[in-house]
Parts: sequence; C-alpha cells; structure tokens
Amino acid sequence: MSPITDENNAAVRTAGVWKIFHQEAEEVRAVQDVSLTVERGEFTALAGPSGSGKTTLLNLIGGLTRPTRGQVWVAGREVSEMSNRELAQLRLEQVGFVFQAYNLLPVLTALENAEFPMLLQGVAAAERRARVQELFARTGMEGLEDRRPGKLSGGQQQRLAVVRAVASRPALVLADEPTANLDSHSSEALLDVMAELNWDLGVTFVFATHDARVMERSRRLVRMVDGHIDSDETRA
Amino acid sequence: MKESPWPRIGWRNLGRNRKRTALTALGLGVGYFACVFVVGWSEGIMSELVENATSLVTGQIEIHDAEYRPDRSLYDTIGGREGADVEALLRAIDADEAVVAAAPRVYAGGLVSSGEATSAGMFLGVDPEREVALTRFLDSLVEGALPVAGRYELVIGEEMGRQLSVGVGDELVLVGSGADGSMANDLYTVAGIYRTGLVEFDASTVVMPIGDLQEFVVLDPDRIHEIAVATAEPDLAPEAARRLSGVLDVPARPIVVASWVELNPVLAEYVALGESFYWIIIVIVFAVAAFGIANTMLMATFERRREFAVMLALGSTPRAVVGIVLTEALAIGAVSLAGSAAFTFPLMVWLYNAPPSLEWLYGNVTLQGALLTPSLRVGYNVPAWTWASVGLLVTALFSALYPAARAARIPPADTLSGL
Repeated sequence: MSPITDENNAAVRTAGVWKIFHQEAEEVRAVQDVSLTVERGEFTALAGPSGSGKTTLLNLIGGLTRPTRGQVWVAGREVSEMSNRELAQLRLEQVGFVFQAYNLLPVLTALENAEFPMLLQGVAAAERRARVQELFARTGMEGLEDRRPGKLSGGQQQRLAVVRAVASRPALVLADEPTANLDSHSSEALLDVMAELNWDLGVTFVFATHDARVMERSRRLVRMVDGHIDSDETRA
Repeated sequence: MKESPWPRIGWRNLGRNRKRTALTALGLGVGYFACVFVVGWSEGIMSELVENATSLVTGQIEIHDAEYRPDRSLYDTIGGREGADVEALLRAIDADEAVVAAAPRVYAGGLVSSGEATSAGMFLGVDPEREVALTRFLDSLVEGALPVAGRYELVIGEEMGRQLSVGVGDELVLVGSGADGSMANDLYTVAGIYRTGLVEFDASTVVMPIGDLQEFVVLDPDRIHEIAVATAEPDLAPEAARRLSGVLDVPARPIVVASWVELNPVLAEYVALGESFYWIIIVIVFAVAAFGIANTMLMATFERRREFAVMLALGSTPRAVVGIVLTEALAIGAVSLAGSAAFTFPLMVWLYNAPPSLEWLYGNVTLQGALLTPSLRVGYNVPAWTWASVGLLVTALFSALYPAARAARIPPADTLSGL
C-alpha cells in the first residue's frame, strides 16, 4: 500500500499523535495528542524539561518508533503505516540524525563515519569525498579524517555527528540535545555550523533541547510539558 | 556497482575484542582439526586394513575356475582337467594398465607332521619370483630362505614352527590326497620361516614352489587353482577385474575374475561404513562447535546493540544488519580456517610420512581378517578435508544466524534511549 500523501507538503506534520509506553503495570504517556507542522527550512527547537516527550517526538518524526495513535508525515509521506524497510528507506533519503551520545561507529574512521549514510545511498566515492571534505572544512575537522571516534574529543565527535547527518543532504535533520556534552565555545561553534547549513542548503533542523543557547538561536521554539505542546513561539 | 560498507565493518570488528575473536576462531579451528585428524586416522586405518587384507597374502584380484569357490576342490582348476595356457593368461593380465603383478597358485590340504606332532595344514604352491612381487608375506623371512624348486623345500609360518617344534633345516612329512585318488606323502626340509602376524595363517600355511606342489598332488603343470593379481591401488581392483573378465579367454570352462570387494564383502562394507562415519563425525563436531560460537556471537551482538540501532536509524535495512553479522562470522571462519589449516596440514603430512607407533597403547589387531599395526598412521582424504572446510564456514554462518536475526530486530529508538 502506498503511503498517504500530506497535501500541505510540510517538512514534518503530526496530527493527534500519542505515544504510550507500558512499564510493568504502569502506563506512561510520553507524547499526548501532539499536532505540529514544521515547514521546510525551519530551524526549530523543541524545549522542555527531561521527560517532557521531546526525544520521543523526535523518534516518532524520524520513524524510529511508531505512534500509538495519530499520524506523522515526513516530506509529505505518512510514516505511521510504513514497513520497516520503507521506514529505513525514508530515513536514508530524507532524515539525518544527530544523537546526544554521538553514536558514531567505533570501527570506522571519521571520514568513513561521515560517508556512511552516503555509502548506503550509493553515492559515488569521489562525490562522497568532496562533500565530506567541504563539511570538514566548515566544521574545523580538517586533518582528523583518519582518526577513529575514540581518538576524537567530545566536541569533535559531535561535529562529526553533525557532518554525518547533513552530508547525505537530507531534507530534515533531527538533533537530540546536540550540545549537551559540549562546553559553551564548542556549543556556539556547532550551532554556527548548523545555522549555516540551514541557511546555505535549506536543511530543516528540529532540535530537542533544554540548552538556553539552542533556544536563543532557534527561529521557532516549541515548549513541551508532560508529553504535550505547552507553547509554540515563532521569532522574527 | 554500489560499494558496501559491511565487509569493512565486519572485518574490523574482529580486532575489537581480540581475545574473544581468538577464542571463537579457536573453537572452530579445533573442530576443523578434529574432523581432519579423526577422518585422516580412520582413513589410515581403513587403508591399512585393505592394504594388509589384499597385499599381505591374497592380492587385490583373484582368478579362479567358476566352480572353485567356495568349496575349493582340488579338481576345480582353471580350465578344468584340460588345464589352461598359464603363461598366456599371465601375459594378458600383465598387459592391463592397473596391474603391477600376477602370480599363479595351487592349493591343497593335508597334514603336516614332525615326530610325534601333527598339524592340519594348507599347502600353497607359488612361483617364488612372481609371488614376492605380488604379496608381502614372503618378502622378509624371519629365518632361512625361499624354497628352491625340485629340492623338496618349503617355508612355514612361525606359529606352525612353534607348534611342531621345528626350525630351518628340520624335516616335515606332508600327507594329502592326490588328484588321481592316490594318497600323497613326502618328506620336505624347512628352508625358511615367515611371519604375517595373522596367527591362523601362520599356524596352518605351508608354502612351496608351485611345481613341487603340483607334483605332490599329481596335477599337470598347466593346472592351477588361482591367479592372484595386484593392482597399483586397491581402489583400481574392481574396474581392472571387469576389464580382465572381458580379456581372459579360457575356452574349456568359465572363469571368475573377482576383486577383493567381491571376495571380502564384509571388509568392503566395513570400509564403506567407515567412510559414511566421516560425515557423521564432521556433522557432530561442527554441531558442538556451533552452539559455543552461537553463544559467543549472541553476546557480541548484544554488546553492540547500540551500534546496530545507529545503523538502523541511519537508514540501514534489517537485512543489511543481518549481512554485517554474517560477514563478521564469515571473517572469523576465514581466519579460523587459515590458522587451523596452517597447523593441521603439516601435521597430517608428518603423520602420513612418519606415523608414530602406538605399541605402548595396544598390540597388533586382526580385524576382518586383516592385520592392523598399532600406529598413528593417517590417510589423505581430500574430499573430507574440503567438506570440513565448507563445514567450518557453514558452521560460522549458521551459528551467527540467530544472533543476526536478533540484531536486525533491535528497536532503534528504545535501544538508543537506553531502554
């Protein structure tokens, strides 16, 4: 069955999405009736305290988990009913992830980690190398190509995770607490990079964060409390 | 062609926990060695059994008158009462590509006496020159020399000498029946003593020149009971026997050309049974190894759940995750195969060329009428080695199937959230 198309063609749209976990006898409502539209090219932050449902909402948008109720569209395609294979294909073609804990592949070098999604996409070697070199230059990662993640600092690993997320040219980057493990200088530098990529390449960014710096830099701030949207503020 | 990251990741993962990789590879390698060695040793035992059963006394092919077996009557000579052109038959046999030797034989039964002691005996008339090329039991006599035709000389087995208390130079009286119905008896001198290790044979068989035995039992020189034939390898005998059946021409009476497989079907079945056990050994050894390796692979994939979750999150398909675990297993298999082959094959070559004695463990054994010496002799069995190699790689892959399926079913969001 082909996925239902979202007529609005937004980067992300959710409609009445719920995610309920069952932990032993207890029911945990991580996301409750969330309806949200993120247009293409937005630089949006999902803010809120721990347990407010930010990460779960990112996972729902990225197709890493399925909603208990409601619908999710990414790049105009309804993901809730997709097969695992279709979800994998969607993530490969449309979505880049930046994880809080970097989650780089330890047996690959920095260059190979950055190239990994493009390798899965079947991008030619020369093209892969050119894209990564350009992003390494922009993120100050030059000269670190052959190092494995274990030999990189936390800031370098997080920048590498950003490069990996954007090098495959996804329409949407979902970043979960991307600055959580960084000092203020590294955080600012990383945000600069992401803002540049958003501006230059039109990549849509959605952050889950409780870092004030990220909230300040975002052009739209969606606050979540107890699994639902508490406020939605767009800045000039 | 689309480049794949999986072989690179699979190969490098081997180096992440070297002790575990080494132990896993060792598990497979020991299984491989066990298969090759046990099959090789069995092969060595089977080869020695067949070799001793066919080259020590009997030969790989026997040619008789069609009526001769199983009664072994004195009268059922090749060609019947008319006899046969033995030289022509030997020339035709020698011309076959697989034949390395052939010798005529005459058999008779009777009594052997020395003083008060008497023993039942089988008299075997041979052409000494042809016989030593055909079989091994006269190659190195324990004592004395081969009998010379016309001098009433014979050789006896060591056990018969012991039972009759005779040695080289002593005289024996042979009593038997002549083909003309007369009572045959004569006095012979022991020229030599042989030892095959087959106690019954050594206790009962008296060997003398063929012409002397023909004279003793009153058979014409062209009347023989058997032509024994040796082929280059025992395996060649059945085909050579079929060829000789078509070539040899004895007009008077039909003959039978039978290989050792027909003459000693129990041994042939025993060897076939042994060969079928090779596959059972390979399956059992690798099945045991498979469980250990599956456990290790399961632990290894569990520890890397987060990595698999990342791969899935980045767009890898579950099938690709299965692929990476299987690639890793195959890489371990390849490393294990290379290492174990490097150890096993030189050892097998050494055991083949210089098998150590196992006399400290057990003495000579007679099995299915064949002598088995106590040694760690191995045989080469290239098909079994090949299948053991395939078995090792299949075991590595098979052991990784369940861990791979588990890795592919990892829920990315829960795993990355640490749930």
